[in-house]
Amino acid sequence: MTTVLPTTIPEYLDQLRRALAGADPALVQDALYDAEEYLRSELAENLDRSEAEVIASVASSYGAPEEVADIYRDTEVKVQTALRPPPPRPRKSPLGRFFGVAADPRAYAALFYMLLSLATGIFYFTWVVLGTSLSAGFSLLVIGIPLLILFLGSIRMLSLLEGRIVEVMLGERMPRRPLYGVRDRPLLERIKDMFLDPRTWSTVVYFLAMLPLGILYFTIAMSLVVVSLSLVLAPLALLPGVHFNLWIFGIDVPDQAPWLLPLLTVAGVLLLFATLHLARGIGRLHGLFAKNLLVKSAQYS
Amino acid sequence: MGDPDPETTGQQLRKFQKELSAGTVSLVLLAVLQAAGEPMYGYQIAKRLERFGDGVLAGKQSALYPVLRNLGAAGLLDSHVEPSTSGPPRRYYRITGAGLAVLHEWSAAWRATRDSVDAVLRGLEP
Repeated sequence: MTTVLPTTIPEYLDQLRRALAGADPALVQDALYDAEEYLRSELAENLDRSEAEVIASVASSYGAPEEVADIYRDTEVKVQTALRPPPPRPRKSPLGRFFGVAADPRAYAALFYMLLSLATGIFYFTWVVLGTSLSAGFSLLVIGIPLLILFLGSIRMLSLLEGRIVEVMLGERMPRRPLYGVRDRPLLERIKDMFLDPRTWSTVVYFLAMLPLGILYFTIAMSLVVVSLSLVLAPLALLPGVHFNLWIFGIDVPDQAPWLLPLLTVAGVLLLFATLHLARGIGRLHGLFAKNLLVKSAQYS
Repeated sequence: MGDPDPETTGQQLRKFQKELSAGTVSLVLLAVLQAAGEPMYGYQIAKRLERFGDGVLAGKQSALYPVLRNLGAAGLLDSHVEPSTSGPPRRYYRITGAGLAVLHEWSAAWRATRDSVDAVLRGLEP
Protein backbone atom coordinates (compact mmCIF):
# COMPACT_ATOMS: atom_id res chain seq x y z
CA MET A 1 0.00 0.00 0.00
CA THR A 2 1.56 3.31 -1.02
CA THR A 3 0.08 6.58 0.05
CA VAL A 4 1.06 10.09 -0.85
CA LEU A 5 3.39 11.66 1.68
CA PRO A 6 1.32 14.04 3.82
CA THR A 7 2.03 17.78 3.60
CA THR A 8 0.45 19.00 6.83
CA ILE A 9 0.60 17.78 10.40
CA PRO A 10 -3.12 16.94 10.61
CA GLU A 11 -2.74 14.93 7.40
CA TYR A 12 0.24 13.08 8.83
CA LEU A 13 -1.65 12.27 12.03
CA ASP A 14 -4.62 11.21 9.97
CA GLN A 15 -2.50 8.79 7.94
CA LEU A 16 -0.96 7.44 11.13
CA ARG A 17 -4.41 6.94 12.60
CA ARG A 18 -5.50 5.06 9.49
CA ALA A 19 -2.33 2.98 9.47
CA LEU A 20 -3.08 1.97 13.05
CA ALA A 21 -6.72 1.11 12.32
CA GLY A 22 -7.77 -1.91 14.30
CA ALA A 23 -5.03 -1.49 16.91
CA ASP A 24 -5.84 -0.92 20.55
CA PRO A 25 -7.42 2.58 20.80
CA ALA A 26 -5.22 3.40 23.78
CA LEU A 27 -2.10 2.62 21.76
CA VAL A 28 -3.40 4.76 18.90
CA GLN A 29 -3.89 7.66 21.29
CA ASP A 30 -0.33 7.37 22.60
CA ALA A 31 1.17 7.05 19.13
CA LEU A 32 -0.69 10.14 17.89
CA TYR A 33 0.39 12.13 20.93
CA ASP A 34 4.08 11.23 20.49
CA ALA A 35 4.02 11.93 16.76
CA GLU A 36 2.38 15.29 17.31
CA GLU A 37 4.98 16.28 19.89
CA TYR A 38 7.79 15.40 17.50
CA LEU A 39 6.23 17.08 14.46
CA ARG A 40 5.33 20.30 16.28
CA SER A 41 8.79 20.53 17.85
CA GLU A 42 10.47 19.92 14.49
CA LEU A 43 8.30 22.58 12.91
CA ALA A 44 9.11 25.06 15.69
CA GLU A 45 12.84 24.40 15.20
CA ASN A 46 12.68 25.00 11.46
CA LEU A 47 10.61 28.11 11.08
CA ASP A 48 12.26 28.98 7.78
CA ARG A 49 10.99 25.81 6.11
CA SER A 50 7.46 25.06 5.01
CA GLU A 51 5.32 22.50 6.79
CA ALA A 52 5.50 20.18 3.77
CA GLU A 53 9.33 20.29 3.71
CA VAL A 54 9.53 19.59 7.41
CA ILE A 55 7.22 16.63 7.12
CA ALA A 56 9.19 15.27 4.18
CA SER A 57 12.37 15.31 6.26
CA VAL A 58 10.55 13.86 9.26
CA ALA A 59 9.52 10.86 7.18
CA SER A 60 13.16 9.78 7.09
CA SER A 61 14.08 10.65 10.68
CA TYR A 62 10.92 9.95 12.68
CA GLY A 63 9.42 7.62 10.11
CA ALA A 64 6.59 7.69 7.63
CA PRO A 65 3.13 7.08 9.12
CA GLU A 66 3.13 3.41 8.13
CA GLU A 67 6.59 2.75 9.55
CA VAL A 68 5.65 4.47 12.79
CA ALA A 69 2.51 2.36 12.99
CA ASP A 70 4.61 -0.80 12.59
CA ILE A 71 7.05 0.31 15.29
CA TYR A 72 4.26 0.97 17.78
CA ARG A 73 2.49 -2.31 17.04
CA ASP A 74 5.78 -4.10 17.47
CA THR A 75 6.69 -2.45 20.76
CA GLU A 76 3.25 -3.03 22.20
CA VAL A 77 3.70 -6.77 21.80
CA LYS A 78 7.12 -6.63 23.46
CA VAL A 79 5.93 -4.45 26.33
CA GLN A 80 3.00 -6.71 27.02
CA THR A 81 5.23 -9.71 27.31
CA ALA A 82 7.92 -7.87 29.27
CA LEU A 83 5.98 -5.78 31.78
CA ARG A 84 2.89 -7.78 32.56
CA PRO A 85 3.13 -10.51 35.14
CA PRO A 86 3.47 -13.82 33.31
CA PRO A 87 0.11 -15.53 32.98
CA PRO A 88 -0.09 -18.51 35.31
CA ARG A 89 0.20 -21.87 33.61
CA PRO A 90 -3.24 -22.91 32.44
CA ARG A 91 -4.42 -25.77 34.60
CA LYS A 92 -6.08 -28.68 32.95
CA SER A 93 -8.23 -30.21 35.65
CA PRO A 94 -11.38 -28.38 36.77
CA LEU A 95 -10.09 -28.62 40.33
CA GLY A 96 -6.77 -27.03 39.37
CA ARG A 97 -8.59 -24.32 37.48
CA PHE A 98 -10.77 -23.55 40.48
CA PHE A 99 -7.92 -23.27 42.98
CA GLY A 100 -5.43 -21.88 40.45
CA VAL A 101 -7.09 -18.50 40.80
CA ALA A 102 -5.14 -18.00 44.02
CA ALA A 103 -1.95 -17.68 41.94
CA ASP A 104 -3.40 -15.02 39.68
CA PRO A 105 -2.41 -11.50 40.82
CA ARG A 106 -5.22 -10.13 38.64
CA ALA A 107 -7.80 -11.65 40.99
CA TYR A 108 -6.43 -9.89 44.08
CA ALA A 109 -5.99 -6.62 42.21
CA ALA A 110 -9.59 -6.81 41.00
CA LEU A 111 -10.79 -7.54 44.53
CA PHE A 112 -8.91 -4.50 45.74
CA TYR A 113 -10.35 -2.41 42.93
CA MET A 114 -13.85 -3.46 44.06
CA LEU A 115 -13.12 -2.18 47.56
CA LEU A 116 -11.49 1.01 46.28
CA SER A 117 -14.32 1.76 43.86
CA LEU A 118 -16.57 2.84 46.72
CA ALA A 119 -14.24 5.73 47.49
CA THR A 120 -13.52 6.69 43.89
CA GLY A 121 -17.19 6.22 42.98
CA ILE A 122 -18.34 8.64 45.67
CA PHE A 123 -15.67 11.14 44.63
CA TYR A 124 -16.48 11.03 40.90
CA PHE A 125 -20.21 11.24 41.53
CA THR A 126 -19.82 14.20 43.88
CA TRP A 127 -17.52 15.92 41.43
CA VAL A 128 -19.98 15.57 38.56
CA VAL A 129 -22.97 16.63 40.62
CA LEU A 130 -21.07 19.56 42.11
CA GLY A 131 -19.74 20.62 38.71
CA THR A 132 -23.06 20.46 36.90
CA SER A 133 -25.08 22.08 39.66
CA LEU A 134 -22.56 24.88 40.15
CA SER A 135 -22.43 25.61 36.42
CA ALA A 136 -26.21 25.39 36.13
CA GLY A 137 -26.72 27.57 39.17
CA PHE A 138 -24.27 30.21 38.00
CA SER A 139 -25.48 30.10 34.42
CA LEU A 140 -27.73 33.03 35.31
CA LEU A 141 -24.54 34.99 35.86
CA VAL A 142 -21.66 35.25 33.43
CA ILE A 143 -19.37 32.90 35.34
CA GLY A 144 -21.57 29.83 34.68
CA ILE A 145 -20.07 29.22 31.25
CA PRO A 146 -16.38 29.36 32.28
CA LEU A 147 -17.25 27.12 35.22
CA LEU A 148 -18.83 24.59 32.88
CA ILE A 149 -15.77 24.66 30.60
CA LEU A 150 -13.43 24.19 33.55
CA PHE A 151 -15.60 21.37 34.82
CA LEU A 152 -15.54 19.53 31.48
CA GLY A 153 -11.77 19.99 31.31
CA SER A 154 -11.41 18.46 34.78
CA ILE A 155 -13.59 15.54 33.67
CA ARG A 156 -11.05 14.74 30.96
CA MET A 157 -8.17 14.78 33.42
CA LEU A 158 -10.10 12.56 35.85
CA SER A 159 -10.84 10.22 32.96
CA LEU A 160 -7.09 9.76 32.40
CA LEU A 161 -6.60 9.13 36.10
CA GLU A 162 -9.33 6.51 36.25
CA GLY A 163 -7.79 5.01 33.11
CA ARG A 164 -4.49 4.55 34.95
CA ILE A 165 -6.23 2.92 37.92
CA VAL A 166 -8.17 0.59 35.64
CA GLU A 167 -5.07 -0.37 33.69
CA VAL A 168 -2.96 -1.07 36.75
CA MET A 169 -5.61 -3.00 38.65
CA LEU A 170 -7.76 -4.59 35.98
CA GLY A 171 -5.16 -4.99 33.25
CA GLU A 172 -7.13 -3.28 30.53
CA ARG A 173 -4.85 -1.18 28.31
CA MET A 174 -5.90 2.49 28.65
CA PRO A 175 -4.48 5.69 27.16
CA ARG A 176 -1.52 7.28 28.90
CA ARG A 177 -1.68 10.58 27.11
CA PRO A 178 -4.53 13.01 26.70
CA LEU A 179 -6.07 13.13 23.27
CA TYR A 180 -5.38 16.25 21.30
CA GLY A 181 -7.80 17.67 18.87
CA VAL A 182 -6.75 19.73 15.94
CA ARG A 183 -4.17 22.15 17.28
CA ASP A 184 -4.34 25.23 15.16
CA ARG A 185 -8.02 25.85 15.75
CA PRO A 186 -9.02 28.91 17.74
CA LEU A 187 -9.76 28.46 21.42
CA LEU A 188 -13.50 28.81 20.96
CA GLU A 189 -13.54 26.07 18.34
CA ARG A 190 -11.62 23.78 20.63
CA ILE A 191 -14.05 24.41 23.45
CA LYS A 192 -16.84 23.60 21.02
CA ASP A 193 -15.05 20.36 20.14
CA MET A 194 -14.97 19.46 23.80
CA PHE A 195 -18.75 19.86 23.97
CA LEU A 196 -19.30 17.88 20.79
CA ASP A 197 -16.88 15.09 21.73
CA PRO A 198 -19.03 12.11 22.71
CA ARG A 199 -16.20 10.93 24.97
CA THR A 200 -16.72 13.90 27.30
CA TRP A 201 -20.31 12.91 27.87
CA SER A 202 -19.69 9.18 28.08
CA THR A 203 -17.11 9.94 30.77
CA VAL A 204 -19.73 11.90 32.71
CA VAL A 205 -22.09 8.91 32.42
CA TYR A 206 -19.30 6.61 33.59
CA PHE A 207 -18.59 8.79 36.63
CA LEU A 208 -22.28 8.89 37.55
CA ALA A 209 -22.52 5.13 37.18
CA MET A 210 -19.47 4.66 39.40
CA LEU A 211 -21.42 5.53 42.55
CA PRO A 212 -23.97 2.68 42.34
CA LEU A 213 -21.35 0.36 40.87
CA GLY A 214 -18.86 1.27 43.59
CA ILE A 215 -21.42 0.59 46.31
CA LEU A 216 -22.35 -2.70 44.67
CA TYR A 217 -18.72 -3.81 44.19
CA PHE A 218 -17.77 -2.82 47.71
CA THR A 219 -20.75 -4.61 49.23
CA ILE A 220 -20.19 -7.78 47.23
CA ALA A 221 -16.45 -7.90 47.93
CA MET A 222 -16.74 -6.98 51.59
CA SER A 223 -19.57 -9.32 52.50
CA LEU A 224 -18.17 -12.31 50.63
CA VAL A 225 -14.72 -11.89 52.16
CA VAL A 226 -16.10 -11.39 55.67
CA VAL A 227 -18.49 -14.35 55.41
CA SER A 228 -15.85 -16.71 54.05
CA LEU A 229 -13.22 -15.64 56.58
CA SER A 230 -15.61 -16.11 59.49
CA LEU A 231 -16.54 -19.54 58.18
CA VAL A 232 -12.86 -20.45 57.89
CA LEU A 233 -12.26 -19.30 61.46
CA ALA A 234 -15.36 -21.03 62.84
CA PRO A 235 -13.48 -23.85 64.66
CA LEU A 236 -11.86 -21.20 66.88
CA ALA A 237 -15.21 -21.25 68.72
CA LEU A 238 -14.02 -24.40 70.47
CA LEU A 239 -11.10 -22.63 72.11
CA PRO A 240 -11.69 -22.19 75.82
CA GLY A 241 -12.69 -18.67 76.73
CA VAL A 242 -13.85 -17.77 73.23
CA HIS A 243 -17.46 -16.76 72.93
CA PHE A 244 -18.28 -17.15 69.31
CA ASN A 245 -21.95 -17.37 68.49
CA LEU A 246 -22.65 -19.45 65.42
CA TRP A 247 -26.27 -20.25 64.79
CA ILE A 248 -27.37 -22.11 61.73
CA PHE A 249 -31.05 -23.00 61.31
CA GLY A 250 -31.62 -22.60 65.01
CA ILE A 251 -28.72 -24.85 66.02
CA ASP A 252 -25.94 -23.44 68.16
CA VAL A 253 -23.16 -25.10 66.18
CA PRO A 254 -20.23 -25.05 68.66
CA ASP A 255 -22.51 -26.31 71.40
CA GLN A 256 -24.76 -28.82 69.74
CA ALA A 257 -22.96 -29.93 66.59
CA PRO A 258 -19.21 -29.29 66.90
CA TRP A 259 -18.51 -31.86 64.16
CA LEU A 260 -19.98 -29.34 61.71
CA LEU A 261 -17.18 -26.84 62.35
CA PRO A 262 -14.53 -28.41 60.04
CA LEU A 263 -17.15 -28.59 57.31
CA LEU A 264 -17.80 -24.89 57.76
CA THR A 265 -14.08 -24.23 57.34
CA VAL A 266 -14.08 -26.17 54.10
CA ALA A 267 -17.12 -24.20 52.94
CA GLY A 268 -15.33 -20.97 53.89
CA VAL A 269 -12.24 -21.86 51.87
CA LEU A 270 -14.38 -22.77 48.86
CA LEU A 271 -16.29 -19.50 49.17
CA LEU A 272 -13.02 -17.56 49.37
CA PHE A 273 -11.81 -19.07 46.10
CA ALA A 274 -15.19 -18.51 44.50
CA THR A 275 -14.94 -14.86 45.60
CA LEU A 276 -11.57 -14.52 43.85
CA HIS A 277 -13.13 -15.96 40.69
CA LEU A 278 -16.03 -13.55 40.94
CA ALA A 279 -13.68 -10.59 41.52
CA ARG A 280 -11.61 -11.52 38.48
CA GLY A 281 -14.75 -11.81 36.36
CA ILE A 282 -16.17 -8.51 37.57
CA GLY A 283 -12.78 -6.88 37.03
CA ARG A 284 -12.70 -8.06 33.44
CA LEU A 285 -16.23 -6.81 32.78
CA HIS A 286 -15.57 -3.48 34.44
CA GLY A 287 -12.39 -3.05 32.39
CA LEU A 288 -14.39 -3.45 29.20
CA PHE A 289 -17.05 -1.08 30.50
CA ALA A 290 -14.44 1.57 31.36
CA LYS A 291 -12.73 1.16 28.03
CA ASN A 292 -15.96 1.64 26.13
CA LEU A 293 -16.95 4.78 27.99
CA LEU A 294 -13.57 6.41 28.62
CA VAL A 295 -11.77 5.72 25.35
CA LYS A 296 -13.50 6.91 22.29
CA SER A 297 -13.01 4.11 19.86
CA ALA A 298 -15.31 5.44 17.17
CA GLN A 299 -12.69 7.99 16.22
CA TYR A 300 -10.10 5.39 15.31
CA SER A 301 -12.21 2.99 13.35
CA MET B 1 25.60 -21.78 -3.01
CA GLY B 2 24.90 -19.07 -5.56
CA ASP B 3 25.67 -15.39 -5.44
CA PRO B 4 24.21 -13.56 -2.46
CA ASP B 5 20.96 -11.90 -3.38
CA PRO B 6 21.28 -8.16 -2.51
CA GLU B 7 17.65 -7.98 -1.47
CA THR B 8 17.96 -10.82 1.01
CA THR B 9 21.17 -9.44 2.50
CA GLY B 10 19.48 -6.06 2.85
CA GLN B 11 16.58 -7.65 4.67
CA GLN B 12 18.92 -9.60 6.91
CA LEU B 13 20.82 -6.41 7.68
CA ARG B 14 17.66 -4.55 8.66
CA LYS B 15 16.52 -7.42 10.84
CA PHE B 16 19.92 -7.55 12.54
CA GLN B 17 19.95 -3.78 13.11
CA LYS B 18 16.50 -3.95 14.61
CA GLU B 19 17.48 -6.70 17.01
CA LEU B 20 20.65 -4.88 18.00
CA SER B 21 18.85 -1.63 18.65
CA ALA B 22 16.14 -3.37 20.68
CA GLY B 23 18.68 -3.95 23.43
CA THR B 24 20.87 -0.91 23.10
CA VAL B 25 18.29 1.88 22.81
CA SER B 26 17.38 1.66 26.51
CA LEU B 27 21.05 1.82 27.49
CA VAL B 28 21.68 4.81 25.24
CA LEU B 29 18.60 6.65 26.49
CA LEU B 30 19.67 6.23 30.11
CA ALA B 31 23.18 7.41 29.22
CA VAL B 32 21.89 10.50 27.38
CA LEU B 33 19.65 11.46 30.27
CA GLN B 34 22.42 10.93 32.78
CA ALA B 35 24.85 13.05 30.77
CA ALA B 36 22.28 15.79 30.26
CA GLY B 37 21.73 16.33 33.96
CA GLU B 38 18.44 18.07 33.29
CA PRO B 39 15.04 16.77 32.25
CA MET B 40 14.62 16.34 28.51
CA TYR B 41 11.61 15.65 26.30
CA GLY B 42 11.30 13.14 23.49
CA TYR B 43 12.18 15.40 20.59
CA GLN B 44 15.25 16.83 22.35
CA ILE B 45 16.55 13.35 23.09
CA ALA B 46 15.99 12.28 19.48
CA LYS B 47 17.93 15.28 18.21
CA ARG B 48 20.80 14.67 20.58
CA LEU B 49 21.03 11.04 19.49
CA GLU B 50 20.96 12.14 15.86
CA ARG B 51 24.29 13.88 16.43
CA PHE B 52 25.91 10.55 17.23
CA GLY B 53 24.80 9.04 13.96
CA ASP B 54 22.10 6.66 12.88
CA GLY B 55 23.63 3.46 14.16
CA VAL B 56 21.99 3.15 17.50
CA LEU B 57 18.39 3.63 16.47
CA ALA B 58 18.72 1.70 13.22
CA GLY B 59 16.54 4.24 11.51
CA LYS B 60 13.46 5.68 13.01
CA GLN B 61 13.28 8.02 15.96
CA SER B 62 9.66 7.17 16.64
CA ALA B 63 10.95 3.99 18.28
CA LEU B 64 12.28 6.17 21.13
CA TYR B 65 8.96 7.13 22.58
CA PRO B 66 7.63 3.69 23.50
CA VAL B 67 11.03 2.83 25.03
CA LEU B 68 10.98 6.03 27.11
CA ARG B 69 7.54 5.14 28.37
CA ASN B 70 8.65 1.62 29.29
CA LEU B 71 11.70 2.91 31.15
CA GLY B 72 9.36 5.25 33.00
CA ALA B 73 7.01 2.39 33.86
CA ALA B 74 9.96 0.37 35.16
CA GLY B 75 10.92 3.21 37.51
CA LEU B 76 14.23 3.96 35.79
CA LEU B 77 13.02 7.35 34.62
CA ASP B 78 10.87 9.99 36.24
CA SER B 79 8.64 12.14 34.11
CA HIS B 80 6.48 15.21 34.34
CA VAL B 81 4.45 17.20 31.88
CA GLU B 82 4.98 20.85 31.06
CA PRO B 83 2.89 22.93 28.72
CA SER B 84 4.59 24.10 25.56
CA THR B 85 3.83 26.86 23.12
CA SER B 86 4.63 24.83 20.03
CA GLY B 87 2.37 21.83 20.52
CA PRO B 88 0.90 19.43 23.02
CA PRO B 89 2.34 19.59 26.55
CA ARG B 90 5.74 17.92 26.62
CA ARG B 91 6.64 15.02 28.81
CA TYR B 92 10.06 15.62 30.36
CA TYR B 93 12.14 12.66 31.49
CA ARG B 94 14.82 12.55 34.16
CA ILE B 95 16.90 9.56 35.30
CA THR B 96 16.15 8.14 38.77
CA GLY B 97 18.49 6.59 41.33
CA ALA B 98 17.41 3.14 40.21
CA GLY B 99 18.09 4.24 36.63
CA LEU B 100 21.63 5.30 37.51
CA ALA B 101 22.36 1.95 39.16
CA VAL B 102 20.95 0.09 36.16
CA LEU B 103 22.90 2.29 33.75
CA HIS B 104 26.10 1.47 35.60
CA GLU B 105 25.53 -2.28 35.33
CA TRP B 106 24.31 -2.12 31.76
CA SER B 107 27.36 -0.16 30.61
CA ALA B 108 29.63 -2.78 32.16
CA ALA B 109 27.66 -5.53 30.45
CA TRP B 110 27.78 -3.64 27.16
CA ARG B 111 31.55 -3.15 27.32
CA ALA B 112 32.10 -6.81 28.10
CA THR B 113 29.88 -7.83 25.18
CA ARG B 114 31.52 -5.35 22.82
CA ASP B 115 35.03 -6.46 23.74
CA SER B 116 34.34 -10.14 23.32
CA VAL B 117 32.44 -9.63 20.06
CA ASP B 118 35.30 -7.47 18.77
CA ALA B 119 37.84 -10.10 19.79
CA VAL B 120 35.92 -12.79 17.92
CA LEU B 121 35.51 -10.59 14.85
CA ARG B 122 39.21 -9.77 14.82
CA GLY B 123 39.90 -13.45 14.45
CA LEU B 124 37.79 -13.47 11.30
CA GLU B 125 39.51 -10.60 9.55
CA PRO B 126 42.22 -11.38 6.97
